[in-house]
Amino acid sequence: MFRTNSSNLRRSLRAGLLALGLLAGLGLPEAGMAGTTYPLTLENCGAKVVINHAPQRVVSIGQAQTEILYALGLGDRVVASALWFSPVAKPYEAVNAKVKRLADNDPSFEAVVGQEPDLVVAMYEWHIGPNGIIGKRSRFDAVKVPVYVSPTDCVGKDNSGAGDGVRTQMYTTELLYRNIREFGAIFDVSDRAETLIAELKAREAAAVRAVAGLKAKNLSMAVWFSSKDIKGDAFLAGKNGVPAYLMAEIGARNIITTEEEWPLVGWETIAASNPDVLVLVKMDRRRFPADAIEAKLNFLKTDPVASQLAAVKNNRIVIVDVGATRPGMDTVDGLEAIATAVQGFGLSH
Amino acid sequence: MSHLVVGPNWPARIAVAGLAAIALVLAVALAVSVGEMPIPLSVALKALGNGLFDLGFPVGAIQQGVIFEYRLSRALMAALCGGALALSGAILQALLRNPLAEPYILGVSAGASTGAVCVMILGLGGATLGVSGGAFLGSVAALGLVGLLAAGAGGASDRVILAGVAGSQLFNAATATIVTTLASAEQARGVMFWLLGNFGGVRWPDLWVAAPVALAGFVICMVHAKALDAFAFGADAAASLGIAVTRVRLVLLATTALLTATMVAIVGTVGFVGLVIPHAARFLVGPGHARLLPACLVIGAVFMILADVLSRILVPQQILPIGVVTALVGAPAFAIILHRARRKA
Repeated sequence: MFRTNSSNLRRSLRAGLLALGLLAGLGLPEAGMAGTTYPLTLENCGAKVVINHAPQRVVSIGQAQTEILYALGLGDRVVASALWFSPVAKPYEAVNAKVKRLADNDPSFEAVVGQEPDLVVAMYEWHIGPNGIIGKRSRFDAVKVPVYVSPTDCVGKDNSGAGDGVRTQMYTTELLYRNIREFGAIFDVSDRAETLIAELKAREAAAVRAVAGLKAKNLSMAVWFSSKDIKGDAFLAGKNGVPAYLMAEIGARNIITTEEEWPLVGWETIAASNPDVLVLVKMDRRRFPADAIEAKLNFLKTDPVASQLAAVKNNRIVIVDVGATRPGMDTVDGLEAIATAVQGFGLSH
Repeated sequence: MSHLVVGPNWPARIAVAGLAAIALVLAVALAVSVGEMPIPLSVALKALGNGLFDLGFPVGAIQQGVIFEYRLSRALMAALCGGALALSGAILQALLRNPLAEPYILGVSAGASTGAVCVMILGLGGATLGVSGGAFLGSVAALGLVGLLAAGAGGASDRVILAGVAGSQLFNAATATIVTTLASAEQARGVMFWLLGNFGGVRWPDLWVAAPVALAGFVICMVHAKALDAFAFGADAAASLGIAVTRVRLVLLATTALLTATMVAIVGTVGFVGLVIPHAARFLVGPGHARLLPACLVIGAVFMILADVLSRILVPQQILPIGVVTALVGAPAFAIILHRARRKA
């Protein structure tokens, strides 16, 4: 059993490093880092976005986006936030306390534009996009508010159907870095953006290096998010989502090969593949009985089939926070957690 | 319409019953031997022997578990659920004199979703009740309300249906209100998904609940077979034949409701079986309930077992909701019934 409680520590470290980077960079624009020239035109999720000046009043819909803004030291520009899956990361508690929360989940269109934002950033197209429940982009165009949706949700991803969408290409952290870089340009803080990206990339590389011996092992893995019924079929990570990227990065093989983000898979199928390592997702959500990590572990110990799986018998179970399974800076925490765990199982040599 | 001729001669009856039993056994055998994990038939038989009679054959623990704990319990649950829903559909179609009546017409499904949401989102009853318990209580609450509405409206069959519609709408609205105001972003998108029928979580203890309920329900319905035949000519005609109309109607409505609520609580909502199978059974054995009810039980059971097998193997690695599979068959059949109903009207 391997638990990761170090993500907050890492986040503190990240904030500290960033502060150092910012202090170092105060008043000294880095060589080769030109400031943004406005109006700035961006191609964003199939739309053209024009930013006329560095935004001062941002409404951020989506925890990952909000935390990136905080990490870039832009907390004072965020006038309101919405869509929180978990409590805000520790280093940002103070800045977040000053930011109005429109809704834990989906804010209404009027609540968003009522803040008189000069920029709205969203994590998901299902909030602002062709089928956006808050509104289509045209609705925001009509009130002259530019919208930036995270490229992590629309590049190589089809959101035209229902549900969580279908990724046609595997997610990569390059999309996250593009998001951070574009924030850098929008807010004219490119130097901070590059510092943050460099730090995240270095951590990614270190985690991958630590398990470099794994590729040759053909280690199989599955990531279990939750189940509608604790004894029933399980939502496992599909072949192209964030967890699939994590598995590919450390050189493990995802037993699931379907394109859906979280396909529903029977335990017989899981038993047929008998993965070497099982990754369980920990979350605060309590929609399904299997959302609770204790329920997952208890099922694995007591079910007549699941208890016989190689990963369960050999105690090769990794627990990662739900943030690691979604696009955002926490993806890197997830990568580190899984790599560290696999090292602990003695599988990477 | 061709009917299977089953006269009062016992040998023929026994032969038909034997055929039905063979069909059931074959369906279960198919369900046990088909799945994502390739298991040779000989191993499957040994695993069954171990599970049923403790014969101690050497079978791998995973294979033993997959055959006995997963596939067999699931197939038997599908049989009970399909049989119970088809039986309930046949009873309701007779009582309400409406060919489009189906088990969820009295608000059972809507009530179940409200009950499930109360447990999942509001945390009512928490761990003691569980989602299934919440669904069952929600079903019973919806039935109680629909019963009161129907009784208040005079209890005629069209009023019962209207009361069911009103009750369903009310409970669906309650569910939607709870979901949109209290659920988190992810909860709101997944609650209704839970209600889609699913046999994946079935284990033996569920059968110890479902089997007695299904069998008791079947016996109660069979006792009333003659009365149901009389209802075909309307409540007044049934009363003139000496049938205690109100009592019979109450007993049978309560029976079908509890059958349906039990199945919804264990496996969720599975559409079309309760609507379509009774019509298929009437094509085969005619409208007499003494033959129709057992036919519904067997055909419903076999249909549901086969639908569940399809749901497990149609898409590699993934489970299709059983409701999708039954609807693929059920929707065209439904259209035919609608068409026939229109011609009669």
